[in-house]
Formats: sequence, structure tokens, C-alpha cells
Amino acid sequence: MLSYGFMQNAFFVSLCISLLCPCIGIFLVLRRYSMIGDALSHASLAGITIGLLLGQSPVLGAFVFTSVCGALVEFLRGYYRKHTDLILSIILSLGVGTAITIISSGRLRVNAEAFMFGSVLTVSRADMVMVLALSIISLLAVALLYHQMLYIAFDEEAAKVAGVRVRLINYVFSILVASAISVSIRIVGVLVLSSMIAIPVATALQLGKGFRTTLIFSIFFSAVDIMSGLVFSYYLNVAPGGLTALFSVALLLTVILGKRLVSGLKRTERQ
Amino acid sequence: MSRKKRGVRFPERQRLMIRAENLYFSYSASQPFVLNGINFELKDGEYVSVVGENGCGKTTLMKLILGFIKPVRGKIITEARRIGYVPQKQGSVNSGFPITLHEMLDSYRRLLNIRDRGAVRDALGRVGLEEFSSALVDTLSGGQSQKALIARAMLGSPELIILDEPSSGIDPSSQKEIYGLLKKLNKENGVTIVSVEHNLEAAVLNSTAIYHLSMGKGHICTPKSYAEEYLKGRGES
Repeated sequence: MLSYGFMQNAFFVSLCISLLCPCIGIFLVLRRYSMIGDALSHASLAGITIGLLLGQSPVLGAFVFTSVCGALVEFLRGYYRKHTDLILSIILSLGVGTAITIISSGRLRVNAEAFMFGSVLTVSRADMVMVLALSIISLLAVALLYHQMLYIAFDEEAAKVAGVRVRLINYVFSILVASAISVSIRIVGVLVLSSMIAIPVATALQLGKGFRTTLIFSIFFSAVDIMSGLVFSYYLNVAPGGLTALFSVALLLTVILGKRLVSGLKRTERQ
Repeated sequence: MSRKKRGVRFPERQRLMIRAENLYFSYSASQPFVLNGINFELKDGEYVSVVGENGCGKTTLMKLILGFIKPVRGKIITEARRIGYVPQKQGSVNSGFPITLHEMLDSYRRLLNIRDRGAVRDALGRVGLEEFSSALVDTLSGGQSQKALIARAMLGSPELIILDEPSSGIDPSSQKEIYGLLKKLNKENGVTIVSVEHNLEAAVLNSTAIYHLSMGKGHICTPKSYAEEYLKGRGES
């Protein structure tokens, strides 16, 4: 399997996804923004189609368009503080509306389906360079802004008192979300991309640990999900996106059941 | 607060912490003013409780001092070099957040650019929570959570600590410990304290002055005069 160049590319990109998505996803989930992450991943389809229409890299197109949508989310937050679910509808309408308009115009020479479901065959060398650059820059930004982003998610007012420039970091965070989405679209696909952002974090949260340990476990679960999805998609000849999503849910349920089993055994021991 | 009102005296050498000048605030142009021409001065070393009925503007005043919101008219000047903030346990802090007590304080230490890693251990020691360092914040009791938030506010030796209802939802023995801690910080360390209070008994017993807000207006009084004028007026003793 690894003798094929396209599988090597796919594994490399998967490694980037398994590192980057949980690092961004943990902040999205803990800020109760996982559905906004979902809306942004759907909006990235518009960026892909714009990139393809202009003859540019679809990953770059997705990154730019999703960054703009991320900034728009932050802007709209000021207007819909008590109705953040509405922002989801607005972003979905803008993104999916743009994508449908471009796809239905018949001007795209490439089939956009591979971006919806994910594909191991479509990862080009140019994509890999883009993915590597976005991953390195984004992971460095996360490392640099780790404590600021943690505090904005945990206690925004305390962060303000400590002098954190909350609004500026929220805009930077929007770009980081766009980056994680753009890195993932080739392999995971737009439709189930949120599974990579939210579910490994949801699985790690079940362990009831501190922030750093939860993040480490999120990365571990993310790697297990995506690598399993990739390997099985190769042998079953199906899209990796769907399988990755299924593996992530299966792992989540396994951890929940395992936790119940362990607590049940402990209770029995005590009696 | 202001230098000499209703018998409250402050030594001349005291440094200014906060000054509010003709402060007006409204949450929107169509709504009446929540704060309606507030003037006061707060000097260092004071322990002031801000009291008043629900909706009188106590929390709004606190947000203005902290710079979370801007006044519609007038200005508020905060001279304190470092401010510690203790929010209400319920509502402000993200419940269910996976963070240990040590992580909560250590991240904050880094935000404040405090290089001394021992500062976290010292702060936890001062509030008696050293042994809970690795516990998840969400699993602490109400009193322990409040002490943890006070420990965080103490990082970096602030000149001013602002608290939003520090005894809200906390059992009486923990309340006693928390007010003892605040009084100690105020008397022994000279930390200026502004506490938005619903607990009027605690306000009267612990404060050096009380700022009473009513209908968007405020005035300063001594704890004794507040107890006499307002509590008796309401049939309380």
C-alpha cells in the first residue's frame, strides 16, 4: 500500500490533519462553536470551486474563502450575541449558495465530488506543499497563542483583565480554523470534515482530564481515526472521508462504553 | 471613595486608584441611563463594597472600572498598575471546561508575564488549596472555586482586586474564610478591594466604606451609617 506515491502523499497529509484539527478543534468545541466549524467546512466548498474556476489551487481557494467566512463569523458575533446559531445559517447560505451557483454554471472542468467525500487519489505535490506550509504556520501560531486562546475559551473576561487582545486573537483564530479546514478537505472531504474537528475532542473529553492531557488524547484519537479511515478506504475502495467519520464515532462509543465498564468494575470492587 | 463624605476620612498620602467623573451609561440609545452622573474617587488601601438593589447598576459600574464597556458620557480613570478580578463563580467561568487548578493559574501567570513559576504554588498556598493543584476546576466545591479565583486574582501582586459577589452560592463557613482572606489582603498587604455585594452583612462587617447605588446614582457612606440608614429603614437590623 505504501509503495504507491498517492498513498504516501495521503498519509503525509493525514498526519498533518491529525495534528492540526484537534489543536484547533479543542478551542472550537470548548467555546461551544463546533457547529460554526461545521458551517465553515461547508463554506470551504465555495472556496474550492472559486479556486478551480480561477485555475488556482483549490486548497488555497478554500483557505482564503474560509478565512473570509471566519472573519465574517467574528464580525457577525457583535450583531447576534444572543443568537449565534443564526450565524451558522448565514455562513452556510453564503458558502453553499456560492458553491452551488459555480458548480451548476458548468464552468468547472474538474469534478468537485472528490472534495465533498474526500479522496486519496487527488492529493498532488502542490497540495502537499500548501498543506505543509499551512500546518507548520498554524501549529506555530497555536503554540504561540496557546495560553491566550485557552483563556479566551475558559474565561474571556479574565483574559481581558490580563491584557489579552481578545478581538484580535479571535480573528487570528478564524484564520487558524480556515487553515485546519483547508488542510483536511482533500482527504476527509467537506461533508464530514467536522468529524475531524469535533469528535476526537469529544472522545478525549470523556476521559475527564486537564486541558493539556485532553489535547494530547485528542491528537491521539484523531490520528487513530484518520489512519484507520485511510487504510480501510484503500482496501475497501471507498472514499476515506466517510470511513474516517465512522471510525471517529466508533472510537467515541468505545471510549464511552469502556468508561462505563471501568466505573462499573470499580463500583463492584468497592462493594 | 471620595475623600471626605459622611465621616469617611482617608490620609492625605493615599494614592488614587480609580476616579469616576460625571459617569453616564446606557446599554442602548433607546434605554434610560443605568448610571446617571456617577462621581467618586477610590484611594489605595480601601475596602469598598458596592451595594444596591438588583438592576441598580452595580455590575455595570464594575464593568466600566474593568474597561469591558465604555461610558456614554464622562470618564473613568483607573490608576492601579495591576488589577485582579474575581468573577461570580456561576456564569462567568466556562463550566465543564477540562482544566486543572494548576493549569488555570499557570496559564494566567503566563498571560501576566510573571516569570516566577513558584508564584502559582504561593498563591494556592495562601488560599489553602495546594493539595487540590491537580484537581479539575469543575470538581471543586463553591467555596474552593471562589478561593481559586481569588488565588488567580492575587497573581502578580495586584494593587486592586475587584470582586463580583464573592459569597454568591457559597456556604457560611466558606464565606467566613473568603472574607477573612480578603480582609487579610486588605489590611496586611494593602491591597485595595472593590466588592460588588449582595451580602449586606458581609459588606457592613468587612468594608472600610460602602458605595450605595440607587436609581443610577451613588453615594459613599461608612458601614455604620449604611447599617443605620438603610437596613433599619427597611426594617432589618
